[in-house]
Amino acid sequence: MKPPRNPALTDRLGIGAMLALAVLSLVILVAPSIIVLMISFDTRAFVSFPPQGFTFDWYRQVFAQDVLVEAMMNSLQVGMAVTILCVLLGVPTALVCVRGRFPGTTALSVYVLVPHMVPGIVLGVAVLFAGALVGIGPSMGLQAISITVFVLAVMVRTVQSRLQRLDASLDEAAANLGATPFQALRTITFPLLMPAIMAGAVFTFIEGFDNISVAIFTHGFRDRPLPIELLAMVQSVNTPLVAAVSGVQILLAILALVAVSFSIGLDGVND
Amino acid sequence: MTASCTRLAARSPTPGLLEAVADKLLSGRGIWPAVPAIIALTVVAVIPFIILLSLGFSQIEMERGTIVSQSFTLDYLINALSDPLYWTTFQRSMTLALTTTVLCLVLGYPVAYLYLIGGRWTRRAILILTIAPLLTSGIVRTYAWLVILGGRGVVNTALMQMGLIDRPLRIVNTHVAVLIGMVQIHLPVMILPLIALMARQDRRLEEASYNLGASRLGTLWHVILPMSAPAIGTGTALVFTLSYTTFVVPQLLGGGNYLNAATMIYEQVVYSLEWSKGSVSALILMASCLVVLTLIAMATSRITRWTKGRDA
Repeated sequence: MKPPRNPALTDRLGIGAMLALAVLSLVILVAPSIIVLMISFDTRAFVSFPPQGFTFDWYRQVFAQDVLVEAMMNSLQVGMAVTILCVLLGVPTALVCVRGRFPGTTALSVYVLVPHMVPGIVLGVAVLFAGALVGIGPSMGLQAISITVFVLAVMVRTVQSRLQRLDASLDEAAANLGATPFQALRTITFPLLMPAIMAGAVFTFIEGFDNISVAIFTHGFRDRPLPIELLAMVQSVNTPLVAAVSGVQILLAILALVAVSFSIGLDGVND
Repeated sequence: MTASCTRLAARSPTPGLLEAVADKLLSGRGIWPAVPAIIALTVVAVIPFIILLSLGFSQIEMERGTIVSQSFTLDYLINALSDPLYWTTFQRSMTLALTTTVLCLVLGYPVAYLYLIGGRWTRRAILILTIAPLLTSGIVRTYAWLVILGGRGVVNTALMQMGLIDRPLRIVNTHVAVLIGMVQIHLPVMILPLIALMARQDRRLEEASYNLGASRLGTLWHVILPMSAPAIGTGTALVFTLSYTTFVVPQLLGGGNYLNAATMIYEQVVYSLEWSKGSVSALILMASCLVVLTLIAMATSRITRWTKGRDA
């Protein structure tokens, strides 16, 4: 590709401004996390920039506080429950959406999207009220199942788009070689779908762990998840402790990023 | 049923009953594998929505926790619509969300352009920088702005060292702080659909444009921008929905008294336990959100059709 050799001044200025804005955006995206990480090693007991000294004390304190550790465990449990439920419910649904031989497969893929299109807080309020009417109070289970329904679409869409690009003749070949549909599914389709399932699992786990909009209405009052605990803490605590909790979460995010790039490759996220 | 079972049996030499059932259920041809998901979606989302709708429009009398009588009423909706607090709150949410969406587009589109013209490593760096924040908690990213904009934060320290101000500026708990936080939180959501489109872009069109003597700016304006209309539509719709209904950023960066639609609903439902009021607010939130989303979708399809028609 060859852009014109001697671009006019306006052209240079315009493109220069575009690129400057792009760099600014990228800085805006990454700077906050770096600043939080720097603060989390500060030796002073108040939040100030630039940080002074270097200590792991705040991280030690994070794991010494029962409330925080408990909240982390709660969020881990919810995250894992959401992931498992999304795999169990979502993968078969994606299969049906793509391979179903009945009228209404399109309607089904739209139906899966419904809870995801609705604002999280509206779903949260609706589930809270509906639960209360039949005597189900807010709890960790209610939180997990509501978030599952909220993010199921992510899993279905990820697996669905991978499935659409799979060569259907692979299945036919398996059938011609005498495999039952179940055998074909287990030995051919599933291994090929694994990367998509993994990527979906990472994103649904993160949502289960981090979700606030749905969780704030449905979480059990004795089992507060980490984001809810953190929300209260940010408003009341002014030490680098919060930064250290954030540091732990950033580490988790980096692990998730590595997991995604190993499963579908970073470029795969776009589908 | 029997016929298909014999067919299955013929295909596999020793079909266990279990495997025959699994074949039937899991082949993916019929609706069965999706049934558990359909049930979950119906019970946990659709029925609760219907209940929410009915709560907003019914007069309920309760005695000892059970509903005694229930009758249709528009009172809650009328009360809400005639309450100036509702109007200012929803207006504030709407203005904030629209400003956020526009700013995200202004900041996000250049990143997508850089992705388009960038080499392999530039593209990879942009992807990492865009996806990583999405995997980080919204609270963590908002907290970072408390650190940056706070009394002893990055901005104030820098300004004081430069001697531009004597005392720290009060930035947190203002409209500006909320807006900055909102833009940063939602920026990746705008960028992702844009770079997904750029990755699929046919670059020969650009080349053709250059060969015909167009400048880079001209190519951007006449070729690349019109083609990205669908992705801009997706991005704006996503950012608008999220920022219109967000809870965290206004709560943290606006101080306790920044009331937007989401924080108002939370207070009605959790603190004052006004169910019917909360239901009506949630329904208004959803309805107004849908109106804007429809407008965005209509504008996008108009522009897409127009650019296609112009090319033909």
